[in-house]
Amino acid sequence: MIQFKNVTKKYGKDITALHDVSFSIDKGDFVYLVGPTGSGKTTVFRLVIRDLVPDEGEVLIGDISIGKLSGSKIPKLRRTVGTIFQDLKLLMDHTVMENVILPLQFTGVSEKNARQQAEEILLQVGLGDQKDKFPLQLSGGERQRVAIARALIFNPEVLLADEPTGNLDSETSYQIIDLLQSINKLGTTILMATHNKEIIDNTKQRVLTVEKGRLVHDRPSAHKKTTESKKEDEGEEKEKKEEALEHTDKKKDEKKEEHETS
Amino acid sequence: MKHLKTAGRYIRRSPYQALSATLIMTLTFFAISIFAVLTVLSVNLINYFETRPQLTVFFKDTVEIAQIDSMKAQLEATGKTSDVKYISKEQALEIYKNINKDEPELIELVTADILPASLEVQARNPEDLKSLAKVVSGSEQVDRIVFQEEIVDTLISWTHAFQAIGIGVIAILITVSIFVIVTIIGIKITARKQDIETMRLIGASNWFIRVPFLIEGFIYGVMGAMIGWLLSYGILLYTTPILESFLKGVPIFPVPPLTIVQILGIELVVALGLGVFASYIAVLRYLK
Repeated sequence: MIQFKNVTKKYGKDITALHDVSFSIDKGDFVYLVGPTGSGKTTVFRLVIRDLVPDEGEVLIGDISIGKLSGSKIPKLRRTVGTIFQDLKLLMDHTVMENVILPLQFTGVSEKNARQQAEEILLQVGLGDQKDKFPLQLSGGERQRVAIARALIFNPEVLLADEPTGNLDSETSYQIIDLLQSINKLGTTILMATHNKEIIDNTKQRVLTVEKGRLVHDRPSAHKKTTESKKEDEGEEKEKKEEALEHTDKKKDEKKEEHETS
Repeated sequence: MKHLKTAGRYIRRSPYQALSATLIMTLTFFAISIFAVLTVLSVNLINYFETRPQLTVFFKDTVEIAQIDSMKAQLEATGKTSDVKYISKEQALEIYKNINKDEPELIELVTADILPASLEVQARNPEDLKSLAKVVSGSEQVDRIVFQEEIVDTLISWTHAFQAIGIGVIAILITVSIFVIVTIIGIKITARKQDIETMRLIGASNWFIRVPFLIEGFIYGVMGAMIGWLLSYGILLYTTPILESFLKGVPIFPVPPLTIVQILGIELVVALGLGVFASYIAVLRYLK
């Protein structure tokens, strides 16, 4: 579904945000992207929605090479990829409902249909009774849910969530994670950036780790393992078995020696 | 409809900027309306003088009617005239009375003796006016000869000067209006930069973002044109009786209502173009 092929992205001449990054995310996967601040997580997202163009390599969504998209097709791409931004990017002078129906207005959906659709999504994210409030009248978690609702309004195949639990308390963070997981269960591919160690430690999902612009680790999902990681695991198991065998052999030899001495 | 709503929202959010934009547009279209009305009036004035006798020969009080008849015959004999009309002192008084019918005190002061008798001459060809004047200019009984052409020429040169000044003033006002609208829309775009960026990132096309700003420029233009036109029309209605009494006997008023409506129609089209053009420049400049 999403593929990064040897992607390098530089800001200016000196700052390399991503260096030769390659990974692939299958349809329906839930993948965490972790790394410290400034490691390149947001750059990954910006490349996916063509807010940036890679200096080297290629970013693909399905068969479409994002870097080769013409300017007129970029809005269409952004409607197929739902994005929850790190700073949410809600329009503060719009109500919850207006924020959520905004993307539908780009495509000329009638006001009535848009509202109907938005109401369903707001119910799904638990904001059914907050639709007429302005973002400033909501809690952090509720604002996060508005951003999720807006990202879901086109029923996207891919959902990008950039630090959606960033400023939330632990309980609210898990509520948001649960919500994203329930969305994932409906078939949406999710790539979520976080630096919340607790979430990563407790998850069984695949985890991509970026540091200083490089992909340094790809921890497979507990449910589904990539071929590469399977090979790695098989290798590790083989080594362990061999070590165990060696250890047993040594013990046997020691026992033999003891027996002979006695 | 949603774009109109968004444009309305932008206007409500910064009412003073909207007011400034509307005021400058009002000033521009007020000037255009006044200029248009004055142009119509000056054209009426020129037309009026053009339809007046081309040559008027005024006689001294000592002239005999037989001498006038003789001169009339001499003029007609040239074959260059299309009409020669004698206006006696009494007829001149009647004309004067008719012009000043609303001001009896002016009529009381004037008698037929004061006014000169005259011959009003229409030439077949305006080029013959000077040779016609020579026919009568030698007579001692002729007081003065007035060529209407001179009056018309003077009026035309005045009108041209007035048009040049008017066009200059309007050009300056239009330029200022464009700059003001570009600046105001630019400020609004800058103020909403984050929102615009957000809309782009969630899939808005360039036109979806641009259209409300273009509508905003259109609204400023149309509002300015309507208010400017209303103000000038109000002034025209107020001043018509005053100017009518000032320009006695020169029937250039009233300006036909159809002309007034036509001026509004043309102004609305210009306002639409001006507002949208200025906004478009702002959008291109600030929404790269």
